[in-house]
Amino acid sequence: MARILNLFPWRRRRLERDLDRELRYHTDRRVDELRRSGLSEAEARRQATLELGGIAQVQEEVRDTWIWRWVDHVGRDLRYGARALLRSRGFAATAMLSLALGIGGSAAIFSLVDQVLLRPLPVHEPGRLVLLDWNGRSLSANWGSGNLLSYPLCRDLEEQKRFFDGVFCRYPTTVHLLTGEEQDPVAADLVSGSYFPVLGVRPELGRLIDRSDDMRPGAHPVVVLSHDYWQSTLEGARDVVGRKVLVNNYPMTVIGVAPASFRGVDPFAAPALWIPAMMKRQATPEFDRLFDRRAFWMHVFGRLKPGMTAEQAKVGLQPWFRSMLEGETRLEGFPSTTAEQRRDFLASTIEVLPAAQGRSDLRPVLKRPLGVLMGGTVLLLLLATLNVAGLLLARGAARRRELTTRMALGASRGRVAGQLLVESMLIIAGGGLFGLLAAPAVARTLVSFLSQDADLSFRVDQRVFLFGFLVCVFAGGVCGLAPVLQIGRIPLIASLKERSRIAGGIRLRKALVVGQMAFTLLLLIGAGLFVQTLERLYAKGPGFTTSRLVMFRVDPPSIGYSERDAEQAMRTLLRDLQDLPGVERAAVANTHMLSGGSSSTVMVVQGESRIVTDRVLTMRVGPGFFATLGAQLVAGRDFDEREVRPPGSPETAPRAVIVNQSFARRYFGDRSPIGHHLGWGNRPNTVTNIEIIGVVRDFNRRTLREEAEQVFVSFWDRDSGDGAYYLRVRGDPESVFPAVRAAVRRVDPTLPVRSLMTFDEQIDRSLATERMLATLSSGFGVIALLLSIVGLYGVMSFVVTRRTPEIGVRLALGATRSAAVWLVVRDALIMIGTGAGIALPAAWALRRLVEAQLYGVSGFDGPTVALAAALLALAALGAAMLPAWRAASISPTETLRAE
Amino acid sequence: MPTARLAIPQGTLDMLILQTLSLEPSHGYAIAQRLQQVSRDAVQVNQGSLYPALHRLEQKGWLSAEWRQSDTGRDAKFYSLTRRGRKQLVVEKESWSRLTHAVRLIFDEGG
Repeated sequence: MARILNLFPWRRRRLERDLDRELRYHTDRRVDELRRSGLSEAEARRQATLELGGIAQVQEEVRDTWIWRWVDHVGRDLRYGARALLRSRGFAATAMLSLALGIGGSAAIFSLVDQVLLRPLPVHEPGRLVLLDWNGRSLSANWGSGNLLSYPLCRDLEEQKRFFDGVFCRYPTTVHLLTGEEQDPVAADLVSGSYFPVLGVRPELGRLIDRSDDMRPGAHPVVVLSHDYWQSTLEGARDVVGRKVLVNNYPMTVIGVAPASFRGVDPFAAPALWIPAMMKRQATPEFDRLFDRRAFWMHVFGRLKPGMTAEQAKVGLQPWFRSMLEGETRLEGFPSTTAEQRRDFLASTIEVLPAAQGRSDLRPVLKRPLGVLMGGTVLLLLLATLNVAGLLLARGAARRRELTTRMALGASRGRVAGQLLVESMLIIAGGGLFGLLAAPAVARTLVSFLSQDADLSFRVDQRVFLFGFLVCVFAGGVCGLAPVLQIGRIPLIASLKERSRIAGGIRLRKALVVGQMAFTLLLLIGAGLFVQTLERLYAKGPGFTTSRLVMFRVDPPSIGYSERDAEQAMRTLLRDLQDLPGVERAAVANTHMLSGGSSSTVMVVQGESRIVTDRVLTMRVGPGFFATLGAQLVAGRDFDEREVRPPGSPETAPRAVIVNQSFARRYFGDRSPIGHHLGWGNRPNTVTNIEIIGVVRDFNRRTLREEAEQVFVSFWDRDSGDGAYYLRVRGDPESVFPAVRAAVRRVDPTLPVRSLMTFDEQIDRSLATERMLATLSSGFGVIALLLSIVGLYGVMSFVVTRRTPEIGVRLALGATRSAAVWLVVRDALIMIGTGAGIALPAAWALRRLVEAQLYGVSGFDGPTVALAAALLALAALGAAMLPAWRAASISPTETLRAE
Repeated sequence: MPTARLAIPQGTLDMLILQTLSLEPSHGYAIAQRLQQVSRDAVQVNQGSLYPALHRLEQKGWLSAEWRQSDTGRDAKFYSLTRRGRKQLVVEKESWSRLTHAVRLIFDEGG
């Protein structure tokens, strides 16, 4: 190991000096001896050197004994490489920038992919966690989204001990939490008593909710706070355990604090507190069907027994599940159904899904776009890699004389290759470093596109670092090896003699350009598809005129209003808004449109027979809502004073409903639904007393893509604590913002105006993913086009330089200038054509992967593909024309003279 | 120039150097001379490989070196055997004699 010390320069200098002296002593003695035998001084010196086999060679061999040869070489190559790169800064910068783009982009996207899709929950053995889901028709009323089951079903599953070490369930909601002065709406998880024990989470302080807190409804007023909430709002008070807090004005006791590492089972929505499911009525006053087997609202998770797979559990659970279904149909309260519904219900199965990463609404939303982006960046990375490989080859060709000279002076091919490799590595390391430095900014931009409120960020952790490193190694392998391969083939003597005509691995370089053309075409097609998707969605719109439409929300209970006072404030505000000078119409509804969220229900339609509907979207709207939006009523009438409950009178069940055309068509066909009746829910005793009073044209409510059956009931049937106002204004919509804020202030100066924006802005937001895909894919396309054009131009100018004499001869022999141009252009066309020949089948094969993200175009849309190919061909031909023109202006006499 | 001088078999140069130095410390040139004289010019010491071998043995810790005045009055780098070098020489001699013995046996049987 002492040899490593020999790397240090001071030690190294002494070694060199000593070696020099030692060898000098040897030769001098030998020379003396030879001279004594009669040789001349010069002859003796020659002979002595010869005997040693060359001083330099001996020195070189001795040096190898000082330190491990390769360490020494790498060290020297690094210095040499760095100097060489500094001399050609333009080349180094171009290469590093290309790589930084590819590496930075893919690291950023990988960090998001990792967070969204790959990273397991920080709990005990996350690999054994599964999510249980109903596969088939559940005939349930649902609250929440995705993978929902009932609380009783969760308890049933807990008994399936053959498969599970434990089963727990949770319901994410928002509660008003009062811990000190301020009452804040915060995210909360209602959980079964098994939640913490099964996850294997230990408390930071106090104790966590356990099975003893899951016995009787309303009997367990306890909460566990999250570490974040405890730290940020309660400043980490050690005496927090035992404190009384108000949850929706109901007193509960803090029993503990969860550890910092544990943020719930949804990685993107951490709750501030956990409440026992038995406190459902207190935590979610809007509905309380804890023991209702047809009320689906909970996400149910299981911990598989060690060694059990999700598939085995799924198969094993079916017999029990089937008998449970049979049992449910015989239970009192089971909905009346058609034969088809009953058959579907009985054919349901239980799904067991791996859930090591927990469960999030965001995941299915982000999964596809991230996949598409990852694919795009990988293509871009490959392209950048090929581009750098091409640059390195070109550089290798230009430096060929230098390299062959070094080889002639005794450097082995291995040494020269090693040196080129080190140079490539320097470029890649530089590119990788810049890339990783830029990655957080890229990731932040992506996150702002993807989701405004998700808990996503870019963290350069080990995994991202490892990924970046592997990408660098891969890129290094691809671009570093190309020039090395080329070195292996240089015929030494021939290329030393040959002065002007150097081959320079032209075939390899052309192959690289073909690869770049192919990747570029793929990216351009992708860009075309995503841009068209966005344009078509904008062109289609939500189904009504959105210009001059403004919306905002208020939530008086969030600042301490009672439901009744809140409703009074809402009514006052609506009247004030309608009287504003710039406002044409104003109306109120319960939710913000196109925000992705919605409520839905199943209903009973009383036509000639009772039919239970599939899930329909519901919305509560005030009179004039449709007129404000400009959504046309095609039959019947709008809500009016008849549906507005007098202020202060008790809540009423909805009596009138307006359905959309899709609903009318599905359940009434050609007949008019006006005057028929619906019932809310699907119990056998559901009363069908809600009269259909109108049919409204279809419009989008949750997202622009969705075509759904919808029903509307009157906003004022129930106490309405909060809501969204919609205003059709005159002139510039943003000009009414100050008046709107003033109107809200007149009602209550402390009432915050939330999400005040134009409807067009809301459309922009709802299309965030589509806009991101369109923007980024266009960006990718442009970068790819630039890179590949640079690549093509480089190769073509090289070809022209090499063929100058040949072209000169042809011209001298009478070839036309256009023939000379054609000579070059044909080469370029072959490369473009080959690239397209690779890309088009690939695009065809990949079309399914992007189709889910598209709207109004197919994954292999003819015009888009043609346009992309034409764009590429045009740009590439443009790049080839410059060298071609140079070829045509070759002067035959001069080239012949040079020959 | 003598015509048929033997090239030293690969790997034995180290041993010969160690043996030469076991008698007395010496510098590179003297080692070369001595090897040639003792073997009565029968072996050809490739001088080009002598110095790398000396440095290799030094790095292994079998030789130590110091600058000292030589018989000509100039400073020369004198190598001497270390204790580990001495042990190594015993090991090498041992294995060499076993090898030559074995080779002799094979020749005798064939003879």
